[in-house]
Amino acid sequence: MRDCKIVSRNFELPNSHTLAVCKAHGGYKTLEKLGEYSPLQIIDIIKKSNLRGKGGGGAPAGEKWELMPQNSNKPSFLAVNCDESEPGTFKDRQIITKDPHLLLEGILITCYAIKAKHAYIYIRGEYKQFQDILQGAIDEAYADGLLSECDITIHRGAGAYICGEKSALLESMEGKRGHPRLKPKNKEPEWFFDNPTLVNNVETIASVPFIVQNGADAYRAYGTQKSPGTLLFAMSGHVEKPGVYEAEFGTSMMEYINHFGGGVKGGKKLKALIPGGVSCGVLTAKECENLTLDYEALSSVRSSLGTGGMILMDEDTDMVIALKNILEFYHEESCGQCTPCREGTGWSDKLVGKILDKRGTKEDIDKLLEIADTMNGKTICVFAPAASTVIVSFIKKFRAEFEAKL
Amino acid sequence: MSEMIDIIVDSQTYKVENGSLLIDLLIREKIKVPYFCYHESLGADGNCRMCMVEIEGQKRPQIACDTLVKPGMEIRSTGANIEKVRTNILELELINHPVDCPICDQAGECSLQDFYMDYGLHNTKVTIAQKVKHNKHIDLGSNVMLDQERCVLCARCTRFTDQITHTHELGIIGRGDEARVSTMPGRKLDNPYAMNVVDLCPVGALTSKDFRFTQRVWFLKTANSVCHGCAKGCNIYIDHNIMKYKDDVIYRFRPRRNDAVNGFFMCDEGRLSYKELQENRLISPLLNGEEIDEKEAIVKAKNLIEKCKNEITIIIDANLYTEEIEAILAFAKELGARVCSPKEIYMDESFQDDLLRCANRAANAQTIERLGIDTNEPNPSNLIINFNHPQDFKATSLISFLTHNRPCSGLSLPIAAYSENEGTLTNIDGITQKCEKAVYKNKPIPTILEYLQKVRA
Repeated sequence: MRDCKIVSRNFELPNSHTLAVCKAHGGYKTLEKLGEYSPLQIIDIIKKSNLRGKGGGGAPAGEKWELMPQNSNKPSFLAVNCDESEPGTFKDRQIITKDPHLLLEGILITCYAIKAKHAYIYIRGEYKQFQDILQGAIDEAYADGLLSECDITIHRGAGAYICGEKSALLESMEGKRGHPRLKPKNKEPEWFFDNPTLVNNVETIASVPFIVQNGADAYRAYGTQKSPGTLLFAMSGHVEKPGVYEAEFGTSMMEYINHFGGGVKGGKKLKALIPGGVSCGVLTAKECENLTLDYEALSSVRSSLGTGGMILMDEDTDMVIALKNILEFYHEESCGQCTPCREGTGWSDKLVGKILDKRGTKEDIDKLLEIADTMNGKTICVFAPAASTVIVSFIKKFRAEFEAKL
Repeated sequence: MSEMIDIIVDSQTYKVENGSLLIDLLIREKIKVPYFCYHESLGADGNCRMCMVEIEGQKRPQIACDTLVKPGMEIRSTGANIEKVRTNILELELINHPVDCPICDQAGECSLQDFYMDYGLHNTKVTIAQKVKHNKHIDLGSNVMLDQERCVLCARCTRFTDQITHTHELGIIGRGDEARVSTMPGRKLDNPYAMNVVDLCPVGALTSKDFRFTQRVWFLKTANSVCHGCAKGCNIYIDHNIMKYKDDVIYRFRPRRNDAVNGFFMCDEGRLSYKELQENRLISPLLNGEEIDEKEAIVKAKNLIEKCKNEITIIIDANLYTEEIEAILAFAKELGARVCSPKEIYMDESFQDDLLRCANRAANAQTIERLGIDTNEPNPSNLIINFNHPQDFKATSLISFLTHNRPCSGLSLPIAAYSENEGTLTNIDGITQKCEKAVYKNKPIPTILEYLQKVRA
């Protein structure tokens, strides 16, 4: 397996979060190159690199950047999404604690390209101790004069998962309830107090310095044709060495697990795996056998790559309890705006609880599938469809375990 | 104005403005579509997900309130697919609803109840004990009571205080099935238009403290009228009913949509002004405070008028119907009387705001102006005939036609209030509007027109 460290190259250095260490290892070097390119040329490089958003959706980042107006009488903004709350996902916090200056460098380049003078980092409320490290880096950068033309402000969330959805994130930044907005009819940027705004994930922005420094082709040398580059894949659950390990797209899933994670914990057999945070459909061990880690391979098995945070479940896992655990999360985190999600997440959680209590009936399983159907594609954001995918994949793939508890 | 285009809904072609909201067309053409959160005055919020329709070429059903019409669009609003989607979403809506219709004041005018009859009829799958519990009676202030369990979280009320009154008292707190409407901590719902949230609420979550538990709505009869609270002339419904062995009673005013005048709303003071119509009414003629017979009173009035001819001043209330004012003017001409309608007493700058309320508190002031009636105080006179003007006047003799009891010397005759009579008013913007007769008293009080006939005879 090829070693490829683009975002995590400084993670192992002692005091990697300080400006001195960062600069000693080539940090902020890209800024010197910025004079060679116009903002549009930077966007072009990003487009050519086919950098895909690393927050879970995998949409091409360059296309989003292109939507930002270059000549607007309104100020443009960058909002960096660090509301990392997906269970199984803990990659962004590695960046902000181990190499925060890489993120700041990426922000400066991005702001140059979209002509923004102010960037916000929207950070999850629970990440207070990581936020302090990031703020320390920002303070160092200010003292060093790096932020003379572009301000960076951390905006702390209040602990709602839904604020990781880009429009809810902006609502929250505007001081309102974190409710996703209705989708625009045409392609347009996001809006922060009615000003054009780009929202990108931490890792996406942290990938930008490498691409601008080394060119689009150097980035495309990693990964697959459609999913170029690398991702901070992560493992948790029943694995020997859980953690975040960067790998290129297209890596074999089982090879990755064995190479970095040391295999399933206690030498047991793998039973199931959730590929990229709980919002992705569960996979059986058989489905994982020949799977590669890229967007296309995962969608071919009706799941998705998500954030690349894999959750492993060994042969002793009770899938009903696992589903109950996930549904409790959705029940707790639904913002309550759309009816199907507000009521569907709660009811499905209660129904699985009923099955666990051995009071369930066959009708309850059918009802769960019906609720999942009502939640799928009928709400403003993709929260309910994600919950729906989880319910359907668990029941379809492990129905016998559910029926055994009736 | 955008171009008009053709779109097809359920195999029928409709002309509609390009880029307008699909749900507006469905509502206008009375095509059945269930919805809670959409409201023409508040726009789309897209949270109830009930107004699903099928659009040709789109894989999934879409909500009509967030769909802009395009040329050649083909919509299906009926059919097994779409009915199933609506039924399933409605079932979720009801899963934590207390279904307490028998004791709910909204029953009979509740969207949830209506849609349940159309799309629901589900079997009960959860017991009351399993439902999420919330507070069932919160006094929000301004006569508005909140039952959080009945709420469907359509956010119409919160959007009203955000977008219309800009007072921001209401918000939604909590997440998921714990989400509920509430005031901001330590604050009450407190603005002059607060009670409109009761009309906006599609279900029984927000009810009027003033109206609730007084009548089942299906017993109420409704007449179209115009509020007499100020010169704005907000269009209203007068909801009234005659209970067994009782007289005809008004139970509430509700705003009636008129985009040229008041839109969908009215102020709380106007809404509650119905009470004045049935309190402290003058019901029989008085002479210096003593009750007298109506025939006797008319004879006395006739004699007084005959005695004081050419020395009479007639005073007109600027709240009377145009027909009445014109008839009084004709009568005054016959008598050679001076006519005036002192304006000062109607003016109240503190009442004015930039939404609906205006400083002139007389409903027909525009007509007084149009007819050139003097709006100054009257000169001292031998005989003053006062047609319900709120001011007290001094004269050698006084005849007062009054709706309400008030200490008055001379002769007082009871007249019908505007709800017991029909006529027209012209509002401050020059819009002339008709008021229907709503209340039929068991013992009718004569109108001004009837009195004028009797006095002439």
